[in-house]
Order: sequence, then structure tokens, then C-alpha cells
Amino acid sequence: MARKWNRLKARVYSRYHWINEWYGRLKGEQPTAVPLPPLAPLRVTLAHASVALVTSAGVHLRSQAPFAMDDPDGDASFRVIPGDVDPTALMITHDYYDHAAADRDPNCVFPLARVREFAAEGALGRAAPRHIGFVGHLLGAQRRRLVDESAPAMARLLRDDGVHLVLATPG
Amino acid sequence: MGIPTVTMSVVRTMTDALPAPRNVLVRFRLGQVFGEPGHREQQRTILRDALAAVHGIQESGNVIVLPYHWKRDTYSPG
Repeated sequence: MARKWNRLKARVYSRYHWINEWYGRLKGEQPTAVPLPPLAPLRVTLAHASVALVTSAGVHLRSQAPFAMDDPDGDASFRVIPGDVDPTALMITHDYYDHAAADRDPNCVFPLARVREFAAEGALGRAAPRHIGFVGHLLGAQRRRLVDESAPAMARLLRDDGVHLVLATPG
Repeated sequence: MGIPTVTMSVVRTMTDALPAPRNVLVRFRLGQVFGEPGHREQQRTILRDALAAVHGIQESGNVIVLPYHWKRDTYSPG
């Protein structure tokens, strides 16, 4: 029942997220100041860059375990998506946005086919050998798990693959 | 130094609350940051603009707001 309610709210919020922004301003919410890392420079041209997608949209392979949506804090694990994946092998598990469009075409949130096109045309060096999917709705212990465990593991994976540029995409 | 990253968003308040070093805001629906399913030219346009932000943003935390409106723009092949 909780998952149905979350998915219903997600359908409304996905289309009318300005309501949330308007409500936040009405309540006088202020952006939280956070320390920003310096800009990491791109050390190669885009035409030579290996580009990885990291998405919080809950994208994963059908053959992989779905993200656990029964925990109200979410699921801070991540899934590795091969760069040569067949798009039909992808699916989405995420109850906190409406992914009906992305179910039909994962490029709505995870534009791997477009990255491959750009690489084939020479605009990019290549699609990285591995990409990453996780779920962006994380609270409490799962948010700490993302910061302390999953995010560093993702960064190590991308560094090991020699990735030059990451494109982070939301759900 | 970390890996250069361009972070996309469709919700301005989220970007303002937790900005990444390089931010690209698209005023589309959640779940469709690259636009409509099957709309290849739209997806390519958004991707091209997002990748350009790696050079277009010169100061950490800055936001580039893409000029597109939901289902109101045309996208030429390219």
C-alpha cells in the first residue's frame, strides 16, 4: 500500500514539481550552504574523452536485483551497467518519480544510445566501459550509506576505468 | 582532483540546495530530463548542451539553465 501511495504521489510530482518549489518559497526555505569542491578540469578534449553516465533514476539490468523499494529510507546500493548493453536489457526500479516515459525509452533519463552516437560521430571519444545506476530518493541510514560506501565505490570504479567525464542524470 | 562531472537537474530548488560543481537545469518533467521518448533530436540537443557545460561553467556551483520549454521547441538534426 505504501508503495502504491508513493507511486501515486510521484506521478503528480513528476509533472508539477513547480508546486513543491512554490510551496518551499512560501515557507521561506533557504538553500543549504554546502562546501563545494573546486572544478576538476577536463584534461582531454571531448573528442578524446571517455564519458560515463551515472544516474539516480533507478536504471539497472533486468538480470540484476531490483532496488529495494520497501524500505522508506530507500536503497543506497548501485548497479553497474555495461557500456555495450542492449537497451532492451534495461529496466527501472524507482517509486519516487513517474518513469513511464523512460520505461518506453531509457534515453529519457539514461542517454547511453545518444552517447554512443556522439562517440561514433567523433564528438566524444567513447562511451565508458561501465556506467552506474542507483536510486536518488535516500534518507537516514541509506543516505549515510551512499556517502560513506556507495559513492566512494562508484568513484573508484570510474577512476579504474579511466573515465574522463561523468554526466550525472536524475530521475 | 576528482573526475569532472556535469550534473543535470529538472528541479531548481534541489540544485540551489545542493549544487554540484557543474549544474545544468532543464525545465522538463521529472523522469524526462532528456525529453520525450523516441525524440532523438531532442535528446541529442540536451546531451550536446549538457556536455558543453564542462567548458561553459567556469566557477564551481554555477548553473546553466537550458532555454528549452516542454514540447514547445523544435530541434534540428545535428
